Amino acid sequence: VVLRPVKSIVVRFCPFESNVESTRKFLGCINHKKIQATNRNCEVTADVRHDGSEPLVDVMFADGERLIMKGANLTTIEMLTALGSRCNAKELKEEQKSKKKSP
Amino acid sequence: APAAKMAALSGGVAPWCRGWLPGLQFVRRGSKAVTRHWKAMHFQRQKLMAVTEYVAPRPAIPPRCLAPRKEKQEEDNGYARLLRQQVEEVFRDNRMIAVCQFNSMPGEDVVLMRHYLRKHNIEVKFVLNEIIRPVLSQSKYKNLLPLFVARNILLVSRETKVKEMLRVLKGVPQINLLGACIDDTILSRQGVENFAKLPSLEATQGQTVGALALLPSQTSSLLQRGSAHLTALLDQHISRLQAGETGSAAEPAPAQSS
Repeated sequence: VVLRPVKSIVVRFCPFESNVESTRKFLGCINHKKIQATNRNCEVTADVRHDGSEPLVDVMFADGERLIMKGANLTTIEMLTALGSRCNAKELKEEQKSKKKSP
Repeated sequence: APAAKMAALSGGVAPWCRGWLPGLQFVRRGSKAVTRHWKAMHFQRQKLMAVTEYVAPRPAIPPRCLAPRKEKQEEDNGYARLLRQQVEEVFRDNRMIAVCQFNSMPGEDVVLMRHYLRKHNIEVKFVLNEIIRPVLSQSKYKNLLPLFVARNILLVSRETKVKEMLRVLKGVPQINLLGACIDDTILSRQGVENFAKLPSLEATQGQTVGALALLPSQTSSLLQRGSAHLTALLDQHISRLQAGETGSAAEPAPAQSS
């Protein structure tokens, strides 16, 4: 997963709930060295609360778009693939734009 | 067609040829033996392959009909037992146990963090969920069970130095505090922060003592108010009389002198 078009990621969950496993694993995967190395400016914040709220992943992209994933019934792989596909789509768009500008 | 020389023929060759010749000899016809395409097998070879196909052995009674065998999972390897004992010891010895989520950190950062925490007498322990879960489910810490999912570490210590721990953890972005068990009370992250903001034990004791002493002091002052008022009035009266005496003594004295 390439995180270049991502500005910030906020992961919110309540560890005392029972449906947070996939969100926690997602957070762990995102903090891997290789993925963090693709974009050093991306801030990953973990919001740990205790109010029985649902696990939530909030991704802010560099072009202002926002992706909200409610991880209560999602698996880790689904979340990662969704994020990865969106990142790749944005990368392609940026490459096309830069190609149009250069010639 | 393969020119098949029968074994009898080879046997019938002159007795001075004591060697043997292969029973079947193949003759090149059309293409070579090793082709780049899949070469169709000779019919005899096809028949041989069909006859000698592998047939998997089937049990006489299908396993569904037999009674299910309960496989006893006795996975008590000594290592797991040792780890479990260590975990139990940890839970018994230490007053403060904090559970944090550990996302991968570079090794030097881990060592630095351990160093800072050990200065405050806090130990860092890496734990495996499979070992901790049975230990917790049997002990009284059942509510800590849902915490142990994905990679975790435990920060254990005998003193409750929460402020320093929070400061160190703030400096490390990849570790998130999930909850803590301080003096057998399970606290969430918010609870831990509130606990850090509490004043020290002596200050709180002094505050409670002062609050408790406030009421009886109020009652005693109320009770004494009447008699205190009376004594104050009498004092005032005496002072006025004295002032009157001195005044009257002063007036006749200057009257006498003049």
